[in-house]
Amino acid sequence: MNLDDALKTFVIESRELLEQMEDALLHIEQAPDDPDTINAIFRAAHTIKGSAGLFGLDHIVRFTHAAESVLDRVRAGEVAVDGDLAALFLQVCDLLNTLIDGVSEGAEPDADTEAQAQRLIGQLNVYTQGEAGIPDHTAPAPAEARRDGPEPTLAEADHWHLSLRFGSDVFRNGMDPLSFIRYLNRLGRIAHIVTLTDALPVAAEMDPETCYLGFEIGFESGATKAEIESVFEFVAEDSVLHILPPRSKISDYIELIRSLPEQEMQLGEILVRCGTLTDKELQAGLDRQAHGDRHPPPPIGEVLIEQTVVHPPVVEAALEKQQKVKEQKRQEASFIRVDAQKLDKLINLVGELIISSAATNLIAERVNMDGLSEATSTMTRLVEEVRDSVLSLRMVQIGATFGRFQRVVHDVSKELGKDIRLEISGEETELDKTVVEKIGDPLTHLVRNSMDHGIEPADIRLARGKPAYGTLQLNAYHDAGNIVIEVSDDGGGLNRDKILAKALERGLIETNQVLSDREIYALIFEPGFSTADQVSNLSGRGVGMDVVRRNIQSLRGTVDVDSEPGVGTTIRIRLPLTLAIIDGFMVGVAGSSYVLPLDTVVECIELTASDRAMAGDGTYLNLRGEVLPYLRLRDFFDVHHSDIQRENVVVVQYAGRKAGLVVDDLLGEFQTVIKPLGKVFSLIKGIGGFTILGNGEVALILDVARLMQQVTSREDGRDAVRH
Amino acid sequence: MAKKTRSEPHRVAVEGEVTIYRAAELKQHLLGELAAHPELEFDLSLVQEIDGSGLQLLILLKQEAARLKRSVKFCGHSQAVLDVLDLCDLGGYFGDPVVIPSPNSAR
Amino acid sequence: MAKTILIVDDSTSLRQVVSIALQGAGYDVLEAVDGQDGLAKLDGRKIHLIISDVNMPNMDGLTFLREAKKLPAYKFTPVIMLTTESGEGKKQEGQQSGAKAWVVKPFKPEQMLAAVAKLILP
Repeated sequence: MNLDDALKTFVIESRELLEQMEDALLHIEQAPDDPDTINAIFRAAHTIKGSAGLFGLDHIVRFTHAAESVLDRVRAGEVAVDGDLAALFLQVCDLLNTLIDGVSEGAEPDADTEAQAQRLIGQLNVYTQGEAGIPDHTAPAPAEARRDGPEPTLAEADHWHLSLRFGSDVFRNGMDPLSFIRYLNRLGRIAHIVTLTDALPVAAEMDPETCYLGFEIGFESGATKAEIESVFEFVAEDSVLHILPPRSKISDYIELIRSLPEQEMQLGEILVRCGTLTDKELQAGLDRQAHGDRHPPPPIGEVLIEQTVVHPPVVEAALEKQQKVKEQKRQEASFIRVDAQKLDKLINLVGELIISSAATNLIAERVNMDGLSEATSTMTRLVEEVRDSVLSLRMVQIGATFGRFQRVVHDVSKELGKDIRLEISGEETELDKTVVEKIGDPLTHLVRNSMDHGIEPADIRLARGKPAYGTLQLNAYHDAGNIVIEVSDDGGGLNRDKILAKALERGLIETNQVLSDREIYALIFEPGFSTADQVSNLSGRGVGMDVVRRNIQSLRGTVDVDSEPGVGTTIRIRLPLTLAIIDGFMVGVAGSSYVLPLDTVVECIELTASDRAMAGDGTYLNLRGEVLPYLRLRDFFDVHHSDIQRENVVVVQYAGRKAGLVVDDLLGEFQTVIKPLGKVFSLIKGIGGFTILGNGEVALILDVARLMQQVTSREDGRDAVRH
Repeated sequence: MAKKTRSEPHRVAVEGEVTIYRAAELKQHLLGELAAHPELEFDLSLVQEIDGSGLQLLILLKQEAARLKRSVKFCGHSQAVLDVLDLCDLGGYFGDPVVIPSPNSAR
Repeated sequence: MAKTILIVDDSTSLRQVVSIALQGAGYDVLEAVDGQDGLAKLDGRKIHLIISDVNMPNMDGLTFLREAKKLPAYKFTPVIMLTTESGEGKKQEGQQSGAKAWVVKPFKPEQMLAAVAKLILP
């Protein structure tokens, strides 16, 4: 661990905090008085400032300080959070992100950034007018003794005189007077020290945990008064400390002697012993005071440090109460950060392990050795557990991704002048990190699209009897080995006729083509399709929806649309939970092996001769009275094998639809590591990848989603079989 | 913690940490010894750590002995004790033979 | 034997920098991410100094210190509170909880070392 590593940690940590800050800012308008939310924003600024200071990132400290000061007033209830302040803080958040990016790249902020920071600091300071700026702790305090008095009777000694009476609770507070005195040696040299024990009572009355110690110290040092004072800052409140600079006025020393509890003569002697005063100076000083020559005594406060701090009990009670309100129970598990590449490597290795364990199983079956099968089956089980645990490491909740849309919705609704609220559900749904990373862009596009085209302007909404504000929903849930993400709006719904007209106009469909509603809606994902009458700067440029679909398909996912005129539109994305390993169901077709994702398999039935006869045109089966479209894989892949003894149907389900896949053999469940196909093969429909079997053979992994499209596309306008 | 030896004066070894954490316990124990024996010698050779409260306790023993007109001596000052006496310039106050380390061996 | 310092702060980077500085000065360092973790890390260990932030999730610094000070082993353990210049009220409350020493955030590593050196030797 070195400072560079720590700086990297700082960057990661700051980005997370800024995310939380943004999140909180977007909530705050709805709940401006929630102390948790305000505290989250405050904590982000505060923590970043604290760490930035450690790294000497002064520009970040300055900036966060301005922000923190405003937040402080918010926490104190002196400044109310309104839309303007939230908007200002969103800008603060953005600029901090820029500054952190700069730190990450090791670059100094450029002139633009600096200017923007200055501008924002100016805007922030409006909220803290009358408040002091950042206190400069490094500047030497101007507490040097004044030597320009009219009375030049100065002591000859050229060292400081420190008179220390430690408070009785110093030990109980975990502090040791001796430590402070040792520390003095860092600032100079202790020329003389006298330990005073006058305060120590007789044994019976002495509390061993009470401090009775006092010291008179002659101290040679070039340090400033503030520096010397700061040595004792932790005990200054409860202790009586006097620090006289070298060559102070003799009257000051005399004043000191008088102010201390010990007897005058004894103290005088001590001062002489410390070399602070000479005998002569002491005598002369005492004499003059005795003669009433007290005018004009210099103001004691100028040279003596008297520090007594009152603790008004009322204030404390109020503070305690405030603190109780702010105590929060935010749950934060402890995490270890792991390089994602390490994780990927581990998953790859587990993949190889699965393959080699399958190979071992095959051999074990072949050699039929005592105990070997048991051992391998135990191993298989363990390998499965390892696989599950490893995969779960990559699983992250979708909540963070959803959370980012608060900002998008906030910004876009301002831009559009529509009042739109975002509702989020299913944020705890987990999916693979890779998928999460890649789903952000498509989701953003869908969300913007819904806000722009889906949700109607307020007047139309009111006319339709809907609330003036529109609602956008993000939802996620697991379904049959997939994660489903829904983007729904309560807007006007898709205009079926308009889509048809446009599709015709663009030549996407033929005039005589009969399409189901679902297929018509799906046209919006065709390249070069846009229905908006007005092209806004958000979407509606006709690019995007096709890109969205392509992105989702590249994740082995699908997207479809449900829409009801006047009620709203739901766009449903289905994605595999993980991209790396699946539980497969292996089937044989014409001597080759194929793998189906097990989650898609509903059941397997034998295809009897009578079924075949009934199937007639070769597209539908009768599954216990249900009409089941089917696809014969032999035909689909155009492979032929002379002897078909019997055929089986694997009933698969995907996105709420069922279909039968006709295969030769059922080979059983099988764990499969998905190896991506090269680009050359990526155009082959119905194949999602391949895997290597234990015996070294290659099996193709079937892309059920694509096969399903193939099956249903034959249905033309007819109703799909719904499950 | 305290070992008694047969020699006169009565000898008490003070060991380990003579700090605030043990101040209450040590006060009771050491004053008990003082009350029980007219002539005492505290062996400080096994004192590993001593803080202000420990120093204060040693001063108390000295002061109490003087009040009760008893003899108390400290011997075998460990480095930790010497450091503190040196810091506070109390070698003279304790008036005991103190082995002063050479300047370059100090601390 | 090196003295042990427990640092309690929810900022990982802050803990890292402070640890590096303290270890460089010859102290042993234990880290905790919040008050709850801090109490767990104490675990009867000999701790010579506690450095604690105030505003932390799960258990804040003041609660942590109050709880720690209830344990006999830490009754006299010195505490440095990490405060803000704006947190004067918190500082007073911290002193009630047994933290008389403080370092104001943001601070430089050497400021922390100076504060520590005033309280304990390495």
